[in-house]
Amino acid sequence: MLTLQILIDGFAISSLYALGAVGFTLIFGVCGVLNLSHGAIMVAAAVAAWVFAGTYGAGPVGGALGGVVVGLVVAYVTYGLIVRPIQRSRLIPHEEKEIFVLTSTLLWGIMIQEAIAYFFTSNPKTVPPVIPGVINIAGVRTPTNELLTAVVSLGAIGLLWVLVNGTRRGRALLAAAINPRGLTLLGFELDRIYLLVWTIYGLLTGIAGVLLGAFLGVSSDNVGTLTASAFSIVVLGGLGSVSGSLVAAFVVGYLETCTAYLVSPTIRTVPVLLLLVAVVYVRPQGLLGRR
Amino acid sequence: MGSRTSAWTRAGACAAVATLCVAGMTGGTARAADPLKIGVIAEESAISGIAIPNGAKLAAEEINKAGGVNGRMIQIIEYDDHASASDAVRAFQRAAHEDHVAAVIASYMSEVVLALEPWSGRLHTPMITPGAASDNITKRIKEDYDHLKYTFHGYMTSTSIADIVCDAAKDMLVDKLHMQTAVVMSEDAAWTGPLDAEYLKCLPKIGLKVLDHIRLSPDTTDFTPIYNKIEGEKPDVIITGLSHVGVQPTVQWQQQQVPIPMFGISSQATSSTFWKDTNGAAQGVVFNMASAPDTPVTPKTIPFAKAYVAKYGIDPGYAGYTAYDDVYMIADAVKRAGGTDPDKLVDALEKTDYVGTIGRVVFRGRDSEFPHALTIGKGYITGLMVEWDHGKQVTVWPEGVAEGKMSFPAFVKTKQSSAN
Amino acid sequence: MSGRTLWTGFLVALAGLALLPFGVGGYVLGLMTLAYYYGVFAMAWDLLFGFAGEVNFGPSFLTGLGAYAAGLLNHYAGWPIPACVAAGAAAAVVGGVALAVPALRLSGPYFGLITLVAVLLLQNALVLNAGFTGGEIGLDLPDVLSADESTNYWIALAFMGLSGAILFGLSRSAVGLILQASGQDAVEASALGYNVTKHKLAAFCISALFSGLAGAMLVFYLGTASVGTVVDIAVGVQVIIAAVLGGRRTILGAAIGAIFLIVAGELLRPLGQLSTFVVSAFALAVILFFPGGFLGILSSRGGAR
Repeated sequence: MLTLQILIDGFAISSLYALGAVGFTLIFGVCGVLNLSHGAIMVAAAVAAWVFAGTYGAGPVGGALGGVVVGLVVAYVTYGLIVRPIQRSRLIPHEEKEIFVLTSTLLWGIMIQEAIAYFFTSNPKTVPPVIPGVINIAGVRTPTNELLTAVVSLGAIGLLWVLVNGTRRGRALLAAAINPRGLTLLGFELDRIYLLVWTIYGLLTGIAGVLLGAFLGVSSDNVGTLTASAFSIVVLGGLGSVSGSLVAAFVVGYLETCTAYLVSPTIRTVPVLLLLVAVVYVRPQGLLGRR
Repeated sequence: MGSRTSAWTRAGACAAVATLCVAGMTGGTARAADPLKIGVIAEESAISGIAIPNGAKLAAEEINKAGGVNGRMIQIIEYDDHASASDAVRAFQRAAHEDHVAAVIASYMSEVVLALEPWSGRLHTPMITPGAASDNITKRIKEDYDHLKYTFHGYMTSTSIADIVCDAAKDMLVDKLHMQTAVVMSEDAAWTGPLDAEYLKCLPKIGLKVLDHIRLSPDTTDFTPIYNKIEGEKPDVIITGLSHVGVQPTVQWQQQQVPIPMFGISSQATSSTFWKDTNGAAQGVVFNMASAPDTPVTPKTIPFAKAYVAKYGIDPGYAGYTAYDDVYMIADAVKRAGGTDPDKLVDALEKTDYVGTIGRVVFRGRDSEFPHALTIGKGYITGLMVEWDHGKQVTVWPEGVAEGKMSFPAFVKTKQSSAN
Repeated sequence: MSGRTLWTGFLVALAGLALLPFGVGGYVLGLMTLAYYYGVFAMAWDLLFGFAGEVNFGPSFLTGLGAYAAGLLNHYAGWPIPACVAAGAAAAVVGGVALAVPALRLSGPYFGLITLVAVLLLQNALVLNAGFTGGEIGLDLPDVLSADESTNYWIALAFMGLSGAILFGLSRSAVGLILQASGQDAVEASALGYNVTKHKLAAFCISALFSGLAGAMLVFYLGTASVGTVVDIAVGVQVIIAAVLGGRRTILGAAIGAIFLIVAGELLRPLGQLSTFVVSAFALAVILFFPGGFLGILSSRGGAR
C-alpha cells in the first residue's frame, strides 16, 4: 500500500521534474546558456494560467493554454533582450560570456519574481485542474490531476524526442549541440536554430509551470528553489544530456518521495543534496554526461 | 586620479542625497502643527502583510478627517520588510532615527517582531505588533521589563489562540460530533512552539486524544506524504497551526480528497482572496479569527470591514483589523500622555481600555505572566471560528454571534456522516 | 588607470568617508556600516572569480561559516570577541579548504553547483538544528562590537579599507598575475610551470579568510546571527551582483558595487515593493550596456584604457 503510494506519487513528481529540466538542459546543450531565470518563467506561466482561468473566466483549459503562451513569451523576451545581446556583444570577452549570462538571467529572474509579487502578491496560487476528482488505483486514492501531470509531462518529452530524431530540423538541432560551426558550413543559420530551441524551451517550461501550479501550487517565492532544483537535476544527469536529465529527474523525484514518506517530510531535499555532492565529486560529468 | 575620486564622491553623494531626501521630507511636511508620525513595517507583497499598512492608513484618514490628535494630523510612514528580519531592523532604525516616528506598528511574523523587540527598547520607540503570535514576545518583557517595556503585543498570543481553538473544538467537535482523536499539524516557526505545547495540553483535556504531532517545514510544497501519514493514523480531525503555508495544504487536501476535516488556525484563510487563490478548495475549512467581516464582534467591526472593502476592494486580512485599532489606540495614548514622549506614551498605552474591531483591548499588567499581552476572555477578546462556505467567510462559533452551521465538504467522512 | 592613481583614489576616498560621521545621522551610518561589510564579501568573491576565474555561487557558505562559528562560540562558550572573530575566520578557511580541495578539480558549472549546494546544506543544517543554532529566528549574541554608531562605522570602514588594500595589493602582485593567467588559460599557465591548482587553492583560502572575518564582524555589529543575513542564497546573489556591477577583476569595484546596491535600495525605498525590481533592472542595464561595470565606465571616460 505504502509502496504503491510512493510509486505513484514519485512517478508524478519525477515526470514533472523531468519536464522542467529537459528544456533547461536543451538550451545549455545547444546554446551553452545556463538560464537562471528558469524558475521565474515557470512561475510566470503558472500565475498567468491562474489569472486567465479565474479572473478572466477562461476556464481550466483556456487558463492552461494562456499560461503556456505567457511562458513562451517570457522565454522569447529572455532570449531577445538578455541572452542574445550578451552573445553578440563585442565588449564582453568570449570566456566571460558565461558569467554575464548567469548574472543577467539571475537579475532578470529577480525582476520577474518582484513583478509577480507586486501585481499578484506572493501568496501561493493554484491553477484549477483540467480534470478534477480522484481515481482509486488498487486502494491508493490518486487525484486525476496527478495522473494527468505525469501523462502530459512524459507526452511532451516524447514529442520532443520525435521532433529531434525524426525531422531534418531536429537533427540539425542535435548537430548544433555537438558542433555549431560545422552546421553553419552546411548552410544552416545558427540564429534560426537558436530561435527554434528557445521556442521549444519556452513551450516545455510553460507547460511545466502550469502543471506545477495545478499539481502543487506555486508562489513567487519559489522562483529560486525551482531554478536550483532544475540546475541540480541537469548537473546530476550530465550537463546538456537530455536522457541524463530524464534519469536524474526520476532519481531525484523518487529519492525525495521516499525520504518524505519513510523518514520525514522536513528533510525531504537533504539526501538529494548529499547525493549531488557525491556524484559531482566521484563523476563530475554526471550520470550520463560526456566530457 | 580624477576618475577614481569621482567614484567615491559619487558614493558619498549618494549617502548625502539620502540624508537630504529625509531632511526634505521632514522639512516639507512640517506645517503649523507637526504631524504625528506612525511607522508601519510589514511584508507588503503578502496578503496578511499588506493589510497592516492598509488598515493603519484607513484609521489615520478617519482620525484626520475628525480633526486629528490635538490638532496634529496622523501621518503613516510605510516600510516594506520583505519578510526579512534584517530589513525590518533597518526600517525600524530609519523610522526612529530619521523619520522620528512616535510609535511603530510592526509585522505579522513572530520572527520579525522578536528581532525588532530589542531595538524598540534600545531606541526607546514604542511598538505594537498587530499580528505576530509568539508568547516569547511578552515573556521577554517579563524578564527584562525596564528595557523591553516599549513593546506591546496587539494580537492574541499563541497560547491564547490554542485555548480558543480548544474551547471551540469542545463545543463543535467533541460535544456535537462526538470526535475522540486528533492529529496536530503545525508549521515549524517561532509562533507555533507555544501553540503546539498548549494544543498538546488542552486537547486531551477536552477529550480529544492526540494521536500524532506533525511539525512541517514552512517550505513544504508537496503535502501528500503528510496527509498520507495522517490518514493512516485515522484521527477524527486535523488540528492546524498554519500561517506561512495555507493555500497549498488546502488545495492538496481537497484535490486528494483527504477524508478528515481541518480545524484550527490557517492565517492565509483569513484573507478574502483565499477562496480565489485556492479555486474554491477552501470549502469547509474551519479557522480561528479575532473578527470576521460580517460578524458584529463589536459595533466597530462591520463598519471597518465595509470601509476597507470600499477603499481597497478586498476584505481585510486578520492583521488589518488590529492595525486599524492600533492607530486609534496610539492616537488615544498620545492624547492622554499629552505628547509623544516615549516613556509617557508607554505609561498611557499600558492604561489602554479601548473597544476596537476585535473586542475590548486591555493590556495585561507588569505583574502578569505575559505583560503587555491582550486580556483574553468574556468581556474582552474572545475570538471566533469561521468557515469558508461557497466563497464567503461564515462565523460558526461561538453560538451568540454565529451566523451559520459548520458543514464539511462531501469527501470528508465524520463519524456522524458515516453513521447516517 | 595605473595602479598609482587607483591607490591614491582609494586612500582619498577612505579619508573622505571617514569624515562622514561628522555630517550625517546614525541611520545613514548604520546603513554604510552594513554596506562596508558587504563590500568585503564582494571583494573576497572578486578575488576568486576575477583572478582565479572560478565562479563561486556560494560566497555565503564562507560568510555563514565565519558568522556562525563566531556567534556560537560567543553565545555558548562566552569567548571574547577577538577570539571569536579569529575562530570564525579559521572556520571559514577550514570549511573553504574542505570544499575547495575536491571542488577545484571541477570546472565551470560543476564548481558553481557544488558551491551552491554547500550553501543549501549549511542552511538546512542550521534550520534543522534550530534548538542549537537559533534557526530562522537567529542567535542572540551577548557581546557587540560597540553600541556607538560612529565607532561601529569607523571599525567597519577601517576593516574594509584594510581588506581592500590587502586584496587589491595581492591582485596586483606577481601572485595575482599568475592567478589571472591561470584563470584565463589554465593550460598555458601550467605549461609555463605554474602550479595552477595550488594558486587557485591559495586564492580560495584568502577569499575564505576575508569572507569569514567579515561574516564574524558583521554578526558582532548586528548583535545577532541569522540565516537571512549571512547564509541565505539571496545574500550570495547580492554579493555576485555587486562584484559584477562594480566592475569585475578590479577588487575595489566590488566594494563600490556593494555600497551602491545598499544605498540605491534605500534611496528607492519610497517605491515600496518595487524598489528591488528597479535596482535589479538598473543593475541588469549596467551589465548589458557597460560590461566593465562602474569602474569600467570611469576608466573609459578617463581615457586611460
